[in-house]
Amino acid sequence: MEALNAFSVSLQAVWNDSGFSAFTMGNGIMILVGLLLLYMAFVKEFEPLLLGPIAFGCILANFPNTGFFGEEMNVMKAINYGITYEIFPPLIFLGIGAMTDFSPLLARPSTLLLGAAAQIGVFVALGGAMLVGFNVHEAAAIGIIGGADGPTSIYLSTKLAPHLLGAIAVAAYSYMSLVPLIQPPIMKLMTTQAEREIVMKELRQVTKFERVVFPIVSTIFISLLLPPIAALLGCLMLGNLFRESGVTDRLSDTAQNALINIVTIFLGTGTGMTMSAESFLRTDTLLIIGLGLVAFMGGTAGGLLFGKLMCKFTGGAINPLIGSAGVSAVPMAARVSQLVGMKSKPGNYLLMHAMGPNVAGVIGTAVAAGTMLAMLK
Amino acid sequence: MEHSPVTTNPLIIMLINMTVVFIVLVALIYLIKLIHFVDPTKEKPKPEVAEEEPLVAVKSESTTLPPAPVVEEGISPEVIAVISAAVAAYGFSGQVKAVQILNHEGTPWRASAKFNNLQRK
Repeated sequence: MEALNAFSVSLQAVWNDSGFSAFTMGNGIMILVGLLLLYMAFVKEFEPLLLGPIAFGCILANFPNTGFFGEEMNVMKAINYGITYEIFPPLIFLGIGAMTDFSPLLARPSTLLLGAAAQIGVFVALGGAMLVGFNVHEAAAIGIIGGADGPTSIYLSTKLAPHLLGAIAVAAYSYMSLVPLIQPPIMKLMTTQAEREIVMKELRQVTKFERVVFPIVSTIFISLLLPPIAALLGCLMLGNLFRESGVTDRLSDTAQNALINIVTIFLGTGTGMTMSAESFLRTDTLLIIGLGLVAFMGGTAGGLLFGKLMCKFTGGAINPLIGSAGVSAVPMAARVSQLVGMKSKPGNYLLMHAMGPNVAGVIGTAVAAGTMLAMLK
Repeated sequence: MEHSPVTTNPLIIMLINMTVVFIVLVALIYLIKLIHFVDPTKEKPKPEVAEEEPLVAVKSESTTLPPAPVVEEGISPEVIAVISAAVAAYGFSGQVKAVQILNHEGTPWRASAKFNNLQRK
């Protein structure tokens, strides 16, 4: 009898400690959302490197009684610290810097203006978010989705609206993967056939001196002007310096391969872990996803409009299609410019020209984030 | 962390932010131009040269030797030898007839764009 009693008590204890006893409908829905995101990542290949860990983190976050965010330290809590204390986004930027060739930008610096113009999407979405009831901090974090820059979106939302991090990260990375679907119709709508057929002049050769000095000088200038983004910009430029110096191949290789891969796993999983049912299953999430689309479309249109302006002022030397690459999404947005240009005129290679505004967009989004942080503090 | 924003008017936020973004990026344009200006390694502009010679056909002087390839000026004999060896290594017999640069303005970016297109076909 005693054994039976002990058996019954033990079984009850196991049940009480299990996730099933505290499992809610919300948890179930979020696990389904996680599975849908996994499908998008691994079957449809929408940004699988980031959406995959985000999706799995989302599933993990919705198991009750795991103690992931309890008093005791554990691996998931440690990963979450990397996001809470803004450690991962700058490290991702270190890898991006090591992978990025700034030569097209240095050869034609005027394309920086296209990277600036495309930031209009950020502020269109910010206005829209405030109209539908978000406060200014939340609206700024939502608006930055339009910069099409995942690490900066995560960085800013962690600082301004940490409770919206999951929805913002999912919207940012989903739309970044949908750039080839979102941008072409807008590009065709806003440009004429003649504009799309413009063949741009070959870029000049950029010397090693320019490629080495640029990351140093721009870090000093931007970090002094906007200290809140010194970590982001500094890491981006440090990674680029590893690449261009010619004497730090091992560091460059680590930054653009091992390090960025490791941090991507942590950043994705940690972001997914913020997608608990309580914080994600709200009307706000749907609004954020809708506003993210507005931000992307606004940024694309802003870049194209400025591209048309530059085309006019340069007497047709600039193909406006490269303007859409001003939203970051490196190098996807530049590839879209190339594809749309090539469809209009086979043999018209716009990729190298579009890389200028594309990397300018990364800098522009970081500057916009830094300005908003400085303003909204 | 609670902030006390300077303004909550979205239009003013947009105007201020876009102005700052443009000012910073315009300043970067001038920094890039300054770096290019002070660059001690940049190539000096070449003086005008006489009109380029047309393609030169290198005629064989001996009837016993196979005809030499038509080579565009500026391509060294070593390059011709390497191309001939590469063609032979792929199993093609015979003689290289002509060598000329098809894409004078080739850059790694151009090659990448072409490669990208080939991948999609």
